[in-house]
Amino acid sequence: MNGERLLSRRAALREYACGFGLLGLRSLLEAAESNPSSPLAPRKPHFEPRARRVIFLFMHGGPSSIDTFDYKPRLADYDGKPLPFKRPLTFAEGDVGNLMKSPWEFRRHGQSGQLISSLFPHLATCADDLTVVKSVVGDSVAHGGASLQLHTGSNTFTRPSMGSWVVYGLGTENQNLPGYVTIKPSLAHGGAKNWSSGFLPAAYQGTAIGHAGVKLDDLKEPIEYLTRQGFTPEQQRFELDMLQKLNRRHALARQYDPELEGRIQAFELAFRMQTTAPEAFEVEKESAAVRKLYGLDRPETSDFGWQCLVARRLAERGVRFVQCSHSYKWDQHSELVRLHTRNAREVDQPIAGLLKDLKARGMLKDTLVIWGGEFGRTPVVQGGDGRDHNPYGYSMWMAGGGLKPGISHGATDDFGYYAVEDRMHLHDLHATVLHLLGLDHEKLTYFYSGRYFRLTDVHGNVAHKILA
Amino acid sequence: MRVLIIILVTAAASAQDSSGVAFFETKIRPLFATRCAPCHAGSNRTAGLNLSTPAGILRGADSGAIISRDQPETSRLLRVIGYLERIKMPPAGKLSAGEIADITQWVKLGAPLPEGAAAAATAPSTPATKVWTGRQKSFWAFQPVQEHPAPRVNNTGWVKSPIDAFILAKLETKGLAPAPPAGKAALLRRATYDLTGLPPTPEEIDDFVNDRSPDAFARVIDRLLASPRYGERWGRHWLDVARYADSTGADEDHRYPYAWRYRDYVIEAFNKDLPYNRFVMEQIAGDLLPAGDGGLNAKGIVATGFLALGPRLIAEQDKPKMLYDFIDEQIDVTSRGILGLTVACARCHDHKFDPIAQRDYYALAGIFAASRGFRKIEGTVSQMHFEPLVPAAEYALYEKHQQMIADKKREIDLLMLDEQRAWLKRAGPKVADYVAGAFEVHKLNRPEAAVASARALDAAVLRKWIDYLKPKDEPRPHVDQWSQSRPGNYTEAALEFQREFDESLKAWQDNIDLWHKRIAQAREKGEAAPERPRFRDGNHRFFIEVSTRKGPLAAGEQKHFSPEAVQRLAALRKEQEALQKASPPEPPMAVAIVEGAPVVQKLFLRGDVHSPGDPVDQGFPTVLAGYDQPPIRQGSGRLELARWLADPEHPLTARVMVNRIWQWHFGEGLVRTASNWGALGERPTHPELLDWLTRRFIESGWSVKAMQRMIMLSSAYQMSSATSKAQADADPGNRLLAHFSRRRLDVEEIRDGMLAIDGTLDLTMGGTLQTGKGTDGENAEERRSINPATSKRRTVYLPLRRSNLPSLLNLFDFGDATTTTEARARTNVAPQALFMMNSRFVEERAAGLAKRLAARKDLDDRARLAEAYLITLARRPEAQEVASALDYIRTAGWESYCRILLASNEFVYVD
Repeated sequence: MNGERLLSRRAALREYACGFGLLGLRSLLEAAESNPSSPLAPRKPHFEPRARRVIFLFMHGGPSSIDTFDYKPRLADYDGKPLPFKRPLTFAEGDVGNLMKSPWEFRRHGQSGQLISSLFPHLATCADDLTVVKSVVGDSVAHGGASLQLHTGSNTFTRPSMGSWVVYGLGTENQNLPGYVTIKPSLAHGGAKNWSSGFLPAAYQGTAIGHAGVKLDDLKEPIEYLTRQGFTPEQQRFELDMLQKLNRRHALARQYDPELEGRIQAFELAFRMQTTAPEAFEVEKESAAVRKLYGLDRPETSDFGWQCLVARRLAERGVRFVQCSHSYKWDQHSELVRLHTRNAREVDQPIAGLLKDLKARGMLKDTLVIWGGEFGRTPVVQGGDGRDHNPYGYSMWMAGGGLKPGISHGATDDFGYYAVEDRMHLHDLHATVLHLLGLDHEKLTYFYSGRYFRLTDVHGNVAHKILA
Repeated sequence: MRVLIIILVTAAASAQDSSGVAFFETKIRPLFATRCAPCHAGSNRTAGLNLSTPAGILRGADSGAIISRDQPETSRLLRVIGYLERIKMPPAGKLSAGEIADITQWVKLGAPLPEGAAAAATAPSTPATKVWTGRQKSFWAFQPVQEHPAPRVNNTGWVKSPIDAFILAKLETKGLAPAPPAGKAALLRRATYDLTGLPPTPEEIDDFVNDRSPDAFARVIDRLLASPRYGERWGRHWLDVARYADSTGADEDHRYPYAWRYRDYVIEAFNKDLPYNRFVMEQIAGDLLPAGDGGLNAKGIVATGFLALGPRLIAEQDKPKMLYDFIDEQIDVTSRGILGLTVACARCHDHKFDPIAQRDYYALAGIFAASRGFRKIEGTVSQMHFEPLVPAAEYALYEKHQQMIADKKREIDLLMLDEQRAWLKRAGPKVADYVAGAFEVHKLNRPEAAVASARALDAAVLRKWIDYLKPKDEPRPHVDQWSQSRPGNYTEAALEFQREFDESLKAWQDNIDLWHKRIAQAREKGEAAPERPRFRDGNHRFFIEVSTRKGPLAAGEQKHFSPEAVQRLAALRKEQEALQKASPPEPPMAVAIVEGAPVVQKLFLRGDVHSPGDPVDQGFPTVLAGYDQPPIRQGSGRLELARWLADPEHPLTARVMVNRIWQWHFGEGLVRTASNWGALGERPTHPELLDWLTRRFIESGWSVKAMQRMIMLSSAYQMSSATSKAQADADPGNRLLAHFSRRRLDVEEIRDGMLAIDGTLDLTMGGTLQTGKGTDGENAEERRSINPATSKRRTVYLPLRRSNLPSLLNLFDFGDATTTTEARARTNVAPQALFMMNSRFVEERAAGLAKRLAARKDLDDRARLAEAYLITLARRPEAQEVASALDYIRTAGWESYCRILLASNEFVYVD
């Protein structure tokens, strides 16, 4: 990191510390300064964390809440009838259909009696581990804005992504792996801006493993430039030794420049990374039983199963924030039944496998798993047999570190259109996620372009009701 | 019904007894919070109504009070929750009887609220014009540029230019001495990367090192400034400020197919040393400036790309918000980029730190709102405006031709639809037979041939029906009843399918008829033919699947169309092809801003486009331009804005640019926050020097090159980058410039430099490598920018898809191209090292250099090594290095050593 920038940040601090809640920034600054060569060194949170890492399972396109986790019995009475109130701003133009009941059955599962539709039979066996939030609210009815807001807090401007903020706040535990990994992310609807570090230093950006359009078989090199074909580690070490000899000689003639030493260290770290990092992706090292648990043995579940298993392996190795993306598939403006069934089938077993595996390894208690799309879908039909976008009240669920398990939180109205109880705006979701990680969302700030920025902008309330 | 008036009964409010307030707190407030909060609490104030505070309740909605304390039963609140009005609340379902009773009781009690509510209940109003205090106005950045004499210094021998006197005076007061001059080779490497972004060649190094004349370096500067490579490097600096990219980014990432013309314009402007004031004016209002020949000012139109090609949401459905986000972005790039002020901070409220009022923001917003960057805002995805760079008549001809092609295509579509209709009418009646037949074969295991002949079916078609109907892995509600039917009822089920098909066929035919009718109507009115009306596939899934694509009843052109139609189609397609061939090429276009319709710009309360306040006249920030600004009478005001910015008396425009030039030479500006000169920005380290340079800049006719020549000829620029312990301790940030700051190469310099070193750099200038228009499929590889490893052009010419910049650029701190960038970060992280160690790109460059060296048959290994050092590091190796290097090469080969040189700190850093 540029030492001068840090200095000027410190100068800014000294000048304005009285006006802002900057204790958090100061402690970050001190941590960074004590180890200036690594912006990713682990840092103390603001307070005792409940979760130490995050696995975010992003269902791109927008799964329908009222067909998955938000049971609306009254919709059945209104099936085929017009919506009894004015429809809010929608995505598709002039295509208002009537209400449509869920084609799926809901049943109570587990001790908790959590309601889950028949789309997720495997996940239903984990019902007691889920904290379902039925009242998430976003501000965008289009994918791009909604996805950007989910990932970065803003549906308008380029801002650092949630994972970048987390790694900026906490650093990461394993210096041989990136701190923030996003597996097969979508290039659409914000693309790389959904895992970019924005105005935070580039070291906090997410490292993409392939992208949504790449088939697993074609994903030869999970991390770009990680390996060199036809070169043994010994050969490479030999070459690196010579390079470092040149670098040290060069540095010796140029005193008092920490950047030069920083770059020498970066090469050493890179060498360690390329020796150890590939192993994190070697899922074939897992037992057959584990691979089966994630559905790696079946074509329809192998892709997302691989993502979930890699996520667990990365989390296990100290990566702070991992995102898996079920590529842009959930956008059922039509053919809801056929395609939601297909989508659910692709992710259901892998996700249940992940939760069970994390639990078996004792990791679920301090890993925060988040599941959701960029919005839900409307109770009214669109295009004859689909549903439109609905950011006004939809469901996400979380599991693991610091949450009350087996509960549902918040509610939508009788039709599942608007959140009416315990609304959780995306800003609130972000505040809650940071809170679970031991970060105060009002103190996790960064000075840029004349002011201090937060993931939650000027909003955000921690949802204390769901905390254990 | 009479409109209820706002009644603020302060006396009544305070007189209410505490039990009434308690009733509000225990019953009503929680009820509002749970049932109304989604739309009427906190920052969500649908219709301006905020029910989360007593003040908000008392204030009511934008349309007026919701509670009448005089006539409680007429209160709007009660009518709305009673579903007695057009507006029924909550919209999702009536409150329970108990809840309604509670609210009614509370209102009848006189709507008691906690004390103090009334005082706070006044409606938000447009803030009054701000009067700035003397202290605010006297902030350093707003003062006129002063003339300062060069200060006296002791070490006069070091002073080559007044610049040096300003620098040295400060050093001397701190007891610091400037670093010795850089070695000649190091200076040449520094200057060459600095001005062209490329390394010096061995010949250039030898020429300069051997040139003992006093003006040797001056001639180097002139040579470099005259090189076309110069504009490619310095234009790129400006493109950072202009947050240049080739697509919208944001939500949909549509291509800007003509953005490259702006990029080429910038490169040319630097190469031709376009006066900076002219450069600024053209970028704000080039379309309104007269062209030299009196014709269309194509260059000026292209220049407005500065405003036009920022990131844009285009699928945002709140269209007014979308438009004002676009305008906000223009205000941001203009104010930070040109003025060094963060005006966009004043969108929602007066600036927290600087004397920029919310009114100032909307005065500027009015200028951009009266300009146009969208062709069509309405619609799910808004359409951007692209401006032709040819006279309107010429463009009209092109458009007309495109219309003819579209008409021909529609004629073909219609003919095909009509033929398909004829076929489906013939084939349709057999649906029940096929469905039943398929059941008999598939479920009842009857021989296919027998079933076909018994029901008079085509066996091949029957097989297609079976394939279609038999259960798939996925549920298909519109087909599943087939496999669920039983031997006893399958014929009835088949008839059900027939009925569904017939209904759909009719609806589908109606849809086509409607289209025919609308086309005819449009023709009568002389309007363009409309698109086909929406046909809701989801309601006709069975019909659509059966009769299109590979469905069993899909119409085959050769097989099912009438011979006349087949003939006619062939003819039409030929005509279409001919039309396409005859089409004039698309005229040159630009991503530009043009004049729009006049607007009365209102201030938006809290920045919310749906909460308009009072109108605000178009104008410029009052702290700079004063209060009696001449009104903008004609057009958007962009021309006036451009003139105001380019005024030599403007305290910021020239000074901000001079500071940028300094920063691009020295790594840090004299003001180290180049785009924020407000209270939270830094103060200049050398304010007098900054003013002195600014004066010279304006005197020279705003010549960037003259400024650079002056800077580079100073001792300050030519210092060594070596530093001493004393300097490092006294001034760790090198704010006093006791030495030149070593810098890591930018990503462009790393890539272009390596390509130059292995001799494969393609120096073609201008144009675009981007293909296509619009955007791509959500998972398409095409959404990525071009891979920098696959092209040999200079990096500045690689198209940038804003949502997915090349990872190489991200890796080396390019920035994100969505907001104006004042300075690149310079990090050293492990993934960069991995790129150096393992990438194909570096491997190829190292191999190329090794090959280039091997080709020098005239040299021995020792001389080859010297050449390698000259090419990569601009120096010859020392004796010790030679021995060690040749030793290494004997073991690991030339290629490996070339990679070491390219990966070395010495290559990546410029002294």
